[in-house]
Amino acid sequence: MTSGAGAGGSATPPLVVLERITKRFPGVLANDEVDLELRAGEVHALIGENGAGKSTLMRVLYGMYPADGGRIVVRGKEVKISSPRDAIANGIGMVHQHFVLVDPFTVTENIILGEEGGERLDMEAAQQRVAELAESYAFRVDPAAVVEELSVGEEQRVEILKALYRGVEILILDEPTAVLTPSETRDLFGNLRKLREAGRTIVFISHKLDEVMEIADRITVLRRGRVVGETGPSETSKAKLAEMMVGRPVLFRLDKPQVQIGDPVLQVADLTGEGKLNGISLEVRAGEILGVAGVEGNGQRELAESLIGLRTPEGGTIELEGAAIAGRPVFDIRNAGVGYIPEDRHEQGLVLNMSLWENAVLGRQDDADFSGSLGVLFIKKIKDLAARLVKLFDIRARSVDVTASTLSGGNQQKLILARELETDPKLLIAAQPTRGLDVGAIEFVWKQILDQKAAGRGVLLISAELDEIYALSDRIVTLYEGSITGEFPPDAPPEQVGIGMLGRAPEEAA
Amino acid sequence: MAAPRARPAWLESFVGQLLALLASFGIALLIGSLLILAYGENPIEVYRSIFDASLGSADGIGYVLSIATPLIFAALAVSVCFKGGMFNIGVEGQYYVAMILAAVVELNFDFLPGPILVPLVLLGAMVGGMIWAAIPGVLKVKTGAHEVVTTIMLNGIAISLVAWALNGPLKYNDAPEGAFVDLRTNVFPKTGLAGDLGATFGITPGAHLSWLFMLAVGAAIVVWFLIRRTRLGYEARAVGSSPGSASAGGVSIGSTQVRLFLISGALAGLVGMQNILADRGYLPLNFVIGLGFTGIAVAFLGQNNPIGIIFAALLWGILSRGEVALQISSQVPREFIIILQGLLILTVVITYQIAKRRLAARQLQRAGMAGELEDSDAPDESAGPRGPEETGAEAFEPSDEKRI
Repeated sequence: MTSGAGAGGSATPPLVVLERITKRFPGVLANDEVDLELRAGEVHALIGENGAGKSTLMRVLYGMYPADGGRIVVRGKEVKISSPRDAIANGIGMVHQHFVLVDPFTVTENIILGEEGGERLDMEAAQQRVAELAESYAFRVDPAAVVEELSVGEEQRVEILKALYRGVEILILDEPTAVLTPSETRDLFGNLRKLREAGRTIVFISHKLDEVMEIADRITVLRRGRVVGETGPSETSKAKLAEMMVGRPVLFRLDKPQVQIGDPVLQVADLTGEGKLNGISLEVRAGEILGVAGVEGNGQRELAESLIGLRTPEGGTIELEGAAIAGRPVFDIRNAGVGYIPEDRHEQGLVLNMSLWENAVLGRQDDADFSGSLGVLFIKKIKDLAARLVKLFDIRARSVDVTASTLSGGNQQKLILARELETDPKLLIAAQPTRGLDVGAIEFVWKQILDQKAAGRGVLLISAELDEIYALSDRIVTLYEGSITGEFPPDAPPEQVGIGMLGRAPEEAA
Repeated sequence: MAAPRARPAWLESFVGQLLALLASFGIALLIGSLLILAYGENPIEVYRSIFDASLGSADGIGYVLSIATPLIFAALAVSVCFKGGMFNIGVEGQYYVAMILAAVVELNFDFLPGPILVPLVLLGAMVGGMIWAAIPGVLKVKTGAHEVVTTIMLNGIAISLVAWALNGPLKYNDAPEGAFVDLRTNVFPKTGLAGDLGATFGITPGAHLSWLFMLAVGAAIVVWFLIRRTRLGYEARAVGSSPGSASAGGVSIGSTQVRLFLISGALAGLVGMQNILADRGYLPLNFVIGLGFTGIAVAFLGQNNPIGIIFAALLWGILSRGEVALQISSQVPREFIIILQGLLILTVVITYQIAKRRLAARQLQRAGMAGELEDSDAPDESAGPRGPEETGAEAFEPSDEKRI
């Protein structure tokens, strides 16, 4: 498939051909002679682990990175794309994971920005055009709404409309579902199907295999900068795709260790706060993993932050092995034996521009092992600690002196796990612990959490991924609008848990 | 960095920085030359006169060192807050208040011997700076009031405070009857001054060179140690770079920020000492103003690195001293020096960024060639819209400033 003739049985010539694209970053060969063909009217999934080079390849196509080798052919003609402007002129648009919208502007103002057409601005006509465009692909968005009041899902729709408004035919979406709730993902897929019917081409970058199997017409798998295969959802399976991505078979279910469930480690009663927590009561016992399932935004973040001490609850009690910890400073709660894997590892886990050793000691810098009474750090000892953690958790890094930002997402998460588990906490709070990770890293994180259980520790697992809840939990509770709406055994049918996640509201469950 | 393994990288980054520095000077001087040519003067002549006036003689060097002294303190004060992600615009007001307190100590404890009086004066100045810095620090932590706004307002209050003190409680009464004297305090006791150091090196007393310069260099080393080697510095950098991760790690953001403001204020307190203890020997109404603001520029030029700040302040001193020569020997207006200082900040900041990326890239690449990277993967793609070439910048050792 290196030449244009490789289109094979398909009658129409490919819309876009990437030929032998090579892109080097210092020390990393991000794309190694990658070939890719995009056809009109297809959803083409580009999958691979973090760092496999999928985003890099698409950024080359979108003109953000110059390629070090290879050529790009659009509609049978070789083109030079050296900026996003060139890409748009060639009908190629891209929506990034991080949106670039002007918050105080309306949806319409954002969409037409840079494409106003003429000196006089007819906002009503523009709004009309945006409304028509949105309607033609069934996007639910109010053209007059102000962007800062929109949800993440709505903002994403605005970004997609922005690209469509510029007449792009090839739309690249970089991990679009990473920021969406399950229902928003369903809406997005509805929009994508409409776009496909209208003959547009969509490149769907992802590593969520269920979604890829659902939406893609063709799937290209990248591993370490190379194409390892091209396939379709009918010819493959989730397990096969995972093996292609990682290079070895991946277990989607791990064996839960059999452990004697002990005394309660964490007892929460009637926890309330900031309108987000409305009387939560739960209990985690030694050797037990309690899974908190729920659609995101139902109080998960507030629950986790109240438990670790980042928020002061308005009411209720939190007890760690019988000792009240509600409202105590983070420092005290950590020292009492609580480990915390935050849902956002960049916001609350790591200091990205600090070195691995500096991150490895974060939270323990006061230990007598790591600093003296005058506050002078024992750098040698801290580096030894970091080197030990790097080895123990197989963190791929050149040295402990590199910054945390140079690590892949999976390795960043490993570093956080290593740090949090090093102190042997009685209770581990794991909030969305595998968010944004690829299958190989997910397997590793799951295994570590199960090891905590095996060691007789308590784990509170908060996750929006029902798969993850089922894979790990001994008991499942559902969280809806800040309240616990149900408790389920680990073998309860997912439909039942799903109803609990929707707060037992029959009209929503329907 | 102490690790022996990091030695070659350190050396490489040192050479790289030196080259970047030379390149930025070259560019600034080149653009300056065009301006000089536009005035119909010979750039080489003009630059030589600046050089002769500053580094061309022992006297010149003395002037440069004493001009640099307060700027080192001011830039250090700015940089300490900057590490914690805060912008202390109030160094200006902090050193005004510090001078008042220093004068109070001088005039009330004039009976003490010098070795006791002088440290007491410096302590008073530091406390004065700390008081004025504590206000915005506490306001920020307790009420969320932005430190840029509060420090600017406190600067205004501080200047009025000096005027009030000099018109009221600290007004002089030691002038001869009927003589016209500018508003000032009484003259400080001789034992309470920073004695002239220049005579030892054959430098004119007019340069007012004193041991305060040594104190400033010592302060820079202490600040470096504080930021790089202590828990407070570590926590400050974490708070400055990622407040969320720091607080989730158990660091108290509020307490860290207040402590940084106090340290910043103590350093700011020493800014005015060159002027009142070495230059004048009393606190006059026309004391040197603007040092706090210049300190912000010097901190930038020194890339917020304590050692870089020493050199940046010296460079600033060279140019300021050159201003005198410019007026005597050429038609180029003295404002040219201000333009040149601005150009230097721009070129240094820009070339440093470029050099830093290049160097980080080179070090990454070398690590890759060593094969250690064979199955490592690229930086976390979800880390934000950042190219891999920007990452690993920390490997470039002394430049740890936050980009703004």
